[in-house]
Amino acid sequence: MNFDPIMALSCVPAILGVVATTVEVTLASCLGSCILGFGLEMARRSGVSTGYAARFIIDFVRSTPALAWLYFLYFVLPRFDIVLPPMAVGIVGLSIYFSGYLAEVFKAGIDAIPQGQSEAAKALGLSRIDTMAFVLFPQMLRNVAAPIGNYFISILKATPYLATIAVPEMLGRAFDIASDTYRYAEPLVVAGVLLLLLALAAAQLVRLLERKLAHPSRR
Amino acid sequence: MSKAPISEIETGEGNKQSKAIEIAGLDKWYGKFHALKNIELSVATGQRVVLCGPSGSGKSTLVRCVGQLEGFQGGTIRVFGKRLDGLRQDASRGRPFAGMVFQQFNLFPHLTVLGNCTLALRRVLKQPAPTAREIALHHLDKVKVREQAQKFPAQLSGGQQQRVAIARALCLEPRIMLFDEPTSALDPEMVKEVLDVMTDLAKGGMTMVCVTHEPGFARAIADEVVLMDEGRIVEVSPPDVFFAAPKQERTRQFLAKVLQ
Repeated sequence: MNFDPIMALSCVPAILGVVATTVEVTLASCLGSCILGFGLEMARRSGVSTGYAARFIIDFVRSTPALAWLYFLYFVLPRFDIVLPPMAVGIVGLSIYFSGYLAEVFKAGIDAIPQGQSEAAKALGLSRIDTMAFVLFPQMLRNVAAPIGNYFISILKATPYLATIAVPEMLGRAFDIASDTYRYAEPLVVAGVLLLLLALAAAQLVRLLERKLAHPSRR
Repeated sequence: MSKAPISEIETGEGNKQSKAIEIAGLDKWYGKFHALKNIELSVATGQRVVLCGPSGSGKSTLVRCVGQLEGFQGGTIRVFGKRLDGLRQDASRGRPFAGMVFQQFNLFPHLTVLGNCTLALRRVLKQPAPTAREIALHHLDKVKVREQAQKFPAQLSGGQQQRVAIARALCLEPRIMLFDEPTSALDPEMVKEVLDVMTDLAKGGMTMVCVTHEPGFARAIADEVVLMDEGRIVEVSPPDVFFAAPKQERTRQFLAKVLQ
């Protein structure tokens, strides 16, 4: 079976039509995993018992496959009368799966700030929350920008998992075309190339953002 | 200039104003390491005390205990009669009674000089932004870095950064200033500009405890010089006695190494 470029070109509009879904899922999951991850890291740093609980959750989440989360949310939750639309399952699943990794990113980002910063804040009488909000958080952002960018691209590349739970994203659409036409090479190559282009664009965006977040005096 | 009111600090009975800091039987361990051993020291209001000693002698630890950055296990520290908790206090403490200046400046790199100075004014003292700005500029002017107010710390020299750090602490109008080797991280030519600012402060009557190895500064400013070694206080003497005719052999040994 030869590769038919005309057939491949004809797949482009259909697959391109669901790029928005892929981008949407990626952005929402990135935001979701950042919020969950930051929350987990804050919990890990607070009291002793919440710290242990957070540590357990982070390790548990990091040692389960993404697909397990998606299947659990999609196939098991309905047995408890919790039925989420496929898009929501995808976003929640990827957010949970990546939150464990993001928690580690935030941990490293905060640990990289010299101890003297919190001491100075303490000596000025700032509360713990103010110290986090006005002293540590802004400095952490600079430290985490690059690793979060990497995870952003990882999340983008994880979106094809969503094909397995009937989310109409790029790989899913490619499989639809394949099962209609019995031609796999063309739609899959098109989906692959488009995803690659998206990832490259994302990498460029991350680089831009990093430069924007760099220290004003080092810009 | 509108001045923030100095907060009411409860004073102990009988010794109003006279004693700024009273340390009695202070013991501190880091795990099995006995960092401070039965420290007794009192600092009167308006007094300037210089702490010196070899590294690892406990002088920084002592200052950090008074500044509530470190907890301690035994003894008491009273500041204006109020007893400090030996546990490290992580919760909001409100207005600090002591300003702290660190060896590494510890300015907030993401904030401008002005932002560094106004943060605690706004968040701790709840001053409105224009008032905070006014107070900050007043203190930046005093340490002669007012022109740098809009710059970021990384754009300043070490000496300028340390003067900003002093101004930042002064903005809260503390009744005591604690200095932990304020000139040790500076290039030699910048030491003087920082010591000059500290000298001005001392002349203004500020109660000061200063860890430093600058004998010139100690001679000019200190009321008492304290030598610490291995977690103990070895000698407490006025500077003329301390440098010219120390009472302890250990002090003589230390001075021989420092003043060569």
